[in-house]
Parts: sequence; structure tokens; C-alpha cells
Amino acid sequence: MKLACVVQRYGAGVAGGSERHCRELALRLAARHDVTVLTTCAADYVTWSNEFPAGESVDGPLHVRRFPVSRPRRLKRFAELSDEVFDGRAPEAQQEDWFRENGPDCPALLDYLRAEGGLFDLVLFWTFRYAPSFFGVPLVRDRAVLLPTAEEDRAVDLSVLEGFFQIPAAYLFLTPEEETLVSTRAGRRLQPSAVIGMGLEPAPPVVTPAPLRDPYLLYVGRVDRNKGCDTLLEYFIEYAAVHEGPSLVLAGPAKMQVPAHPRVRGLGRVSDGERDALLQSALALVVPSPFESLSIVLLEGWNRAVPAIVNARCAVLKGQVRRANGGLYYRSSAEFAEAVETLRASEPERRALGAQGLAYVEREYRWPTVMERVERLLDEALALRRARPRA
Amino acid sequence: MADVQGRVRERLRLHLVRHGAAAFEDPVLFAEVEHLLRTSIDAGDSHALILPELLGEPASWRLETAMRWDSHRPKAPAAAVLFVKRRVLMPLFRWLFEYSRDNFERQRRVNQVLFACVQELALENARLRHDLERREPS
Repeated sequence: MKLACVVQRYGAGVAGGSERHCRELALRLAARHDVTVLTTCAADYVTWSNEFPAGESVDGPLHVRRFPVSRPRRLKRFAELSDEVFDGRAPEAQQEDWFRENGPDCPALLDYLRAEGGLFDLVLFWTFRYAPSFFGVPLVRDRAVLLPTAEEDRAVDLSVLEGFFQIPAAYLFLTPEEETLVSTRAGRRLQPSAVIGMGLEPAPPVVTPAPLRDPYLLYVGRVDRNKGCDTLLEYFIEYAAVHEGPSLVLAGPAKMQVPAHPRVRGLGRVSDGERDALLQSALALVVPSPFESLSIVLLEGWNRAVPAIVNARCAVLKGQVRRANGGLYYRSSAEFAEAVETLRASEPERRALGAQGLAYVEREYRWPTVMERVERLLDEALALRRARPRA
Repeated sequence: MADVQGRVRERLRLHLVRHGAAAFEDPVLFAEVEHLLRTSIDAGDSHALILPELLGEPASWRLETAMRWDSHRPKAPAAAVLFVKRRVLMPLFRWLFEYSRDNFERQRRVNQVLFACVQELALENARLRHDLERREPS
């Protein structure tokens, strides 16, 4: 098949869940197909400023075609528009403006899809919330495969999405919860579709020595209110006031004030090696985010047989933990404390949960399993398109 | 997980009983109430709620979290006033606006959860009434 992968940013060094997902999947699809990545010259998801040169390049087996972003994101305008649109009463034209302002505004990419999109058998789009997907999917609707990477945040509630989510020819979801969320917003079951998740290689052995000796709970990622870190810190400090027990280690750049506390350690950004070593020795991985479409870090924790403690308000995290039986979840400070104490008090139970998490990854998230689901869905989407009478 | 939740639930029940919720001395009753409310909270984030439809005109009950930029003045003075509000005052007070908006967002969520609780209780009540009617001799 001749496939195109459309994503807002692209590159080995580009951080971001959907960008990473796109690259990993595209590289593996290239083993059987002719794959072109259609993306922008942006590297920064806040400003979308052009940093990569426009034009064609290669990334291993992939052709990469970059298009310039016409203007950086107007942050003030975007913030104002977000206020108005998320209030829930914005007309659809204004909601479409929100997608335009969210960017990256890349008319050349859309022109290319309009002119050349028909040359591809299928065009895969990552992330509904960015302009290349929102405005690009309708241009190649008969061959568009959408990976919405939708979370239960305000954007997914926009009424304009009810129609948008019905446009693509096929869908790839990261979790069953995401499929339910998007189908509910669309008002019907979306077919053909597959829940694919994300592939992981078996965890490589840790070469960096364990950085901490005392038991600790580990948070990995941006330390940010939007990631639920303020509530995590609140709950942990309440827990620490009553219980002798592990400390909380935050491994990631801080975007909020981390309170000074003898059992809270903010490490800032850490290397991949340090991250692996921290994960390997953690009492548990904590994932406090209320909004996730998959949580790769949760899978990475299980890949090292580390049990998880997750925020139950996030249906995806709770669903993943329940399916894997690889950890515990909390809704309140009391449940958080009880979960930590349960894992601290019983090493066999902690190990069993970690092992079950690893078994879940082995069962569901190894690349051959993931790619089999993807290939099956792409075959089905192509067959359906070919069977459809031409307009 | 059920053990963890069970222990937390039991501590919560005892705490409530200590503070005067005598009805919760019955653990079975407490479990049923807790289950019903928890189900409502889970449903509270959904769009399948009847109360917003019945409340009528949204302007009379809906929380407004966005600033509306309009004016009753004639066109030219209105433009000047809006410019000052939007480009001078709003940037200065954006922190205050965001603080209030975040609180209104919380209130909106609580309202939705309460709508869901009322809906769940109304459903339960309707089902029980139907059961009773079926059982009553005609």
C-alpha cells in the first residue's frame, strides 16, 4: 500500500505522545508499505515556529515531506478563543476558528492533501485537535484513517466534532475507553475500527546504578497541574503526615511550584538511563493525570514489572489498570493512602501486581501484536474503499 | 482493589457515623447508597442528562465562564470601550479572570454531578414504583 501519515510535528527528537506514536508506527509500517510522513516544519508545540527545513527528506525507510507553518500560534488570541469556545455556547464557525488558531496553520500541507491525497491508498491522521487533522481529514475523507488520541478534556466536547468524527473512512484507537468516548461524541459506533494501543520492546536491562536507596513512589513526566500533579502532591503530603513510608520522586521538568517537603524529591529532567533505573527500583509508578488517551509511561512501568497507582477519574487509566490487574487506583486522598500502604505492606502483592502488568504488556502491547491489528484494519479500510462505487 | 476500596469505605462509614449519620450504622445500607452515588458521579460527566433539558432557557441557569465582548453603546464609542476592556484591562486582570473561571468550572462539574444524582434517584424511584404497582393486587 502507499500510505501517508499526517502529524503536526515529526522527528526523532520531537517529544510528545502522538508524535512518538506516529513515528514508531510509521517506521514499522514501512516494512511492508511505501510510507510518506506529511508534517510541518514546527518542533515546538506551543509556538509552532518553523525549525526544520521545508521540503523532502528521509528518516530511515520513510519519506518525510515538511511544509512550512504560515504563522506562529497567536497565544493571546488562542487563549481568548478557548475561553469562549469551552464555555459551550460557541457557534460551529467559531469552534472551527479554534482549530485554526490551535494550529499549526499549514496551508501548504492542506493544498498538498487536496492535490495529491488521492495518490495514497490510505492517509492516516494523528490527533483530532490540531489543524492538519481537523481540516485535512475532510479533504481525503474516502481514505482517511483517524487516530484521534482523544482525552476527556474540554476540546472533545465541542459540538462541531459530532460531524467531524463521522467523516473518516476508518479509525485506530489507543484504548477501548477512547473508542467509547469518540463514538459517544459521534453519536454512533464508528466502524471499521481497531483498538491498537502502542507497541513496546521488552525493557532493556538497566545499566545506570539505582539512584535512590530508600523506597519511593515515582512520577515520570512534566510536573504540571494539568497532569494532576497538584492533587498528587496534596494527597502525598497528607499521606506522609500520617505514615512512615516511601518518598515521592518527581522525574521531569517542573511547570509548577513543588512544595518543599522532606519526602518529596523533584529531580527535574532526567536522562533515559536514569529514568529506566528509577522505574526499575520504584515501589510503584504513580500516574495522577485526569486526562489520558493511553499513558505510555504506565505501559513502560509495567514493562519493568512495576505496579501502578493511578487516578481513577481518568477512565483510560482506570480501565488499563483493571484490564491488566497491574495496580491500584484512587479517587480520594484516603484511597491514595490506602493504595500506597497496601503496596508497602505486602511485597508479594506488589510483585504480583507488577508481574500482572508485565503479562498484560506481553499480551497486548508487543509490536507484532499491535502491527497485526493495524494491518488488519488497514486491509479492511482499503477493501471497503475499493468496494465503494466511485462518486 | 476491592480490598483497598472496602477498607477506605469502612473508614468513611465509621467517620460519618461518628459525626451523626446514624443511618449508616447499617453497612449494607451504606454500601447501597455509596454505590448509587458513585454511579451517578461516573455518569455526571456524560451528556445523557435530562435536567438541563427541563430547566429551560440556559441563560437562566447555566454558568457562563467566558467573557462576552459586547456593548450597548453606539458603534464608535463601543469599539473604544471594548478595546480598553479587551486589550488594556483584561491582560491586567487575566489572573483574576482565570482564578474565577477555574472555580466556575468546578461548580459546573458539581452541578453536573448533582444533576446525575437526581436523575439516578428519580430512575430508582420510578423503578420501585413500577415494582410496587406490579405486586399490588388489582
